[in-house]
Amino acid sequence: MVDIRLNATINGRKVSRDAKPHLRLLDFLRDDLNLTGNKEGCGAGECGTCSVFVDGVLMKSCLMPVAKAQGATVDTIESLAKSGELSVLQKAFHKAGASQCGYCIPGMVMAATAALRANPFADREEIKERLGGNICRCTGYQKIFDAVELARDVQNGRLPSTALLETDTADGDVIGKSVRRIDAPSKVSGRLKYAGDMIMPGMLHVQVLRSPHAHARIVSIDTSAALAIAGVESVITSADVPGKDGFGVFVHDQPIMARDKVRYVGEAVAAVAAEDALTAKRAVAAIKVVYEPLAPVFDPDEAMREGAAIVHDYAPDNITKHIPIRVGDVEAGFAESDLVIEENYSTQAIEHAYLEPEAGLAYIDHDDVVTVVSPSQNITHHRHMLARIIAKPISKVRFIMSPVGGGFGGKEDMIYQGMLALLAMKTMRPVRLVYTREESIISTAKRHPSRTTLRMGVTRDGRIKALAMRMVCDGGAYGLSTEGVMRKAAILAAGPYNIPNVRIDTFGIYTNNTPSGAFRSFGALQTQFATESHLDIIAERLGLDPFEIRRINAMRDGATTHTKQKLGSVSLMRALDAAEQASNWEAGAPTVRGPTRGDLGHDDVRPSVTLGARFAADDKQEAAE
Amino acid sequence: MLICDEYVTPGTLAEAFAAMERHRGRYRVVAGCTDTLPWAREGRAGDVEIPVLIDVSKIPELNERQVGDKRVRLGAATPIQRFLDDAALGRAMPAMPRCAVWFADDQIRAQATLGGNVVNASPAADATPCLEAHDAVVELASAKGKRNMALREFITGPGKTQLAEGELVTGFDCDAFPGYGGSFEKVGHRRSLVISVVCLAVMVKLDRDGLTIEDTRLAIAGIRPVPRRLREIEDHLRGKRLTGALLEEAADMPLDLVQSRTRQEYRRDVVRGFLVRGLIAAAKRAGASPDALTQELEAAYG
Repeated sequence: MVDIRLNATINGRKVSRDAKPHLRLLDFLRDDLNLTGNKEGCGAGECGTCSVFVDGVLMKSCLMPVAKAQGATVDTIESLAKSGELSVLQKAFHKAGASQCGYCIPGMVMAATAALRANPFADREEIKERLGGNICRCTGYQKIFDAVELARDVQNGRLPSTALLETDTADGDVIGKSVRRIDAPSKVSGRLKYAGDMIMPGMLHVQVLRSPHAHARIVSIDTSAALAIAGVESVITSADVPGKDGFGVFVHDQPIMARDKVRYVGEAVAAVAAEDALTAKRAVAAIKVVYEPLAPVFDPDEAMREGAAIVHDYAPDNITKHIPIRVGDVEAGFAESDLVIEENYSTQAIEHAYLEPEAGLAYIDHDDVVTVVSPSQNITHHRHMLARIIAKPISKVRFIMSPVGGGFGGKEDMIYQGMLALLAMKTMRPVRLVYTREESIISTAKRHPSRTTLRMGVTRDGRIKALAMRMVCDGGAYGLSTEGVMRKAAILAAGPYNIPNVRIDTFGIYTNNTPSGAFRSFGALQTQFATESHLDIIAERLGLDPFEIRRINAMRDGATTHTKQKLGSVSLMRALDAAEQASNWEAGAPTVRGPTRGDLGHDDVRPSVTLGARFAADDKQEAAE
Repeated sequence: MLICDEYVTPGTLAEAFAAMERHRGRYRVVAGCTDTLPWAREGRAGDVEIPVLIDVSKIPELNERQVGDKRVRLGAATPIQRFLDDAALGRAMPAMPRCAVWFADDQIRAQATLGGNVVNASPAADATPCLEAHDAVVELASAKGKRNMALREFITGPGKTQLAEGELVTGFDCDAFPGYGGSFEKVGHRRSLVISVVCLAVMVKLDRDGLTIEDTRLAIAGIRPVPRRLREIEDHLRGKRLTGALLEEAADMPLDLVQSRTRQEYRRDVVRGFLVRGLIAAAKRAGASPDALTQELEAAYG
């Protein structure tokens, strides 16, 4: 390997040092110079968390070989608040509440800085366009655009600099006031350390071998060639697990690495700790696994049939969880209905797509406490599970929750922490694993795909008499949160409506697909999508306003839910009123609308997306000429 | 992950050819790298080990830019962003700035090169149909000498070109179209960083009164293995009076344009709408008389 002698000016200081030729500028900044403010969210130029200035031009440093920075001036997020004083834009992000998980924010601040340098008077549309290369998952972007507009106006003297400061809360009363987030300065400056930013002396780098098969028996794993590579410290498989293997939020059916067989493409089979990530990668490639492919099952309805492939021996019917709810007499309810409608609904798997790919650091501390630092959404549960898996008393296991760069339920599962703990125990050195975006997508939980059959009976005046629902969800290869998701899906399936007769069955099913798990709403979305869509269809059939049919059936204060929970207060009527008003709703049945739509074109309705806001001035000029 | 043992950045063409000779069979030529690095990832090529990467983006000849009234010569390493920064270039190639603003995002097009876009030969490349509308000639060079080839001959299929072993694309020689109005229509799944499902480059020149189409250039991509110039439609429009009816007629010409692997019906609808919308936008920028295009037409296609 021929190292590159890189001479550059980085954040105002001369840098002259050797770099490996295959490094990207991002690797050089983060790993060689420990400038971890800019992040790696995707490694493919899609997300913009790595955006830095190169000779004053904003670039995605994950797309730039380090050699391209030869002789260049590079400025990272760390350059913006060098003396500790935040820039106007950083203050504006703080003030506007434009950071949530914060992982995209360093890149977003850089892109906003570039946008206002390019056009200090950019309007909101142009700001959106110029920030188009940066993705945020948490904020919905509006507060970010608010922040850039605020900074623009302060920079241009249209607003005083005091507009960036905290609203006066001198009376100590912050309830109902818009106050600045206390964690925002660390995020807008890039100083907050996420797990993938953390380093420890002597740290090893971990890479994971993953299954190429959806369903296969593991005949043998030969790690000898991997172990023979210089720089490789340890290679582990499920055979190295000292305790009772298995994790999961409800049923502990998932080993920390595949045991005896693999159940989905992307499942961890072995893990390597080596002096650097490239050596670990090469060692992973040198592990020889012999698989004997098994018949897979990918469709949950098929998986429920007799004779289907069995994913887990303990569940020969492939049912992870069935939640039944029975209230009243559904058939009697249909009999007294004037209209009975049955429809099928389906929803798909969805990736959480938090900007921070999974990462973790583990070490054995001076008191032999196995310590795992990771953006886990459930550290206490992880701690209990890990103690059993590694056969240690709970007092010798510690989980530290690093800042979570977005979770949305996707970081509730102990999907990699077990491997880290085991490698730290094997090597007695700190070990770190940073997922690639692809690894994150292939190996971690998704929202449960669902198929729902819903039958509902109503009287002519719109009262729901009976609801029968059967939902089958693809839970994928392991249980994870499926049981809870099925439960919540069932509990909320009938919506906030008074329905005297209810029959609900939700099924979480094992297949050889990527496991499904917790995801925002935790099952409510799948069943409510069916129920709410159904109400719209019925409103159309009955000639009722969709809001009206909901009001007719709405639970009120003191109502009892179909799972026998007594509700002290119900805000549904207020929510309906607010939604009706905010959507510029045109009253009436869905069939009465004419050829034009009165709900569009209002000030509070966003226009459709176009590009070329920066040409707007030119176009006006051309039109005038 | 893209792994190399050596990263070479030649300062001249001669150095580049020497490096290519020295590392024959062990190198890959890169420029902006904005496609090569994402290519070397799981799901596409996976981890790729290439012994030597030869980065041609710093070679002066590949960065030259000559903008004249009749011709434009662009070095192959010209970043896409230049079409937005360089006003004279934008006037000579009036569809190109509109293309550039849709191209990836502000950051990537500062790095991505015109030559890279062409050599990649993606059926969905955005810059290529624009170049085709300018009758671009590809300039090729090797240690043995130089040769030129029409762009439409150079690109032979998805990812396939006539680039020979030991050869580099050094630049593009294009017709200049100052005084034309330009537009670029593109649709994908989102605003930035999106691969075109369909993209269309349009240039229109009108007479002094803004009533008659003196000339037009149209080229489309994303709907077939290689970009296609729409000469039949150009011929149909040339010399005719600009009316909404004419544009709709042109859009309805029975050409079997869509030969994509997927979503043909959708693409046919898009192509029709793009033709009308793109021609309206280009004609307006070419100074179309307000009388020529009806408001209804603009409302329908704006």
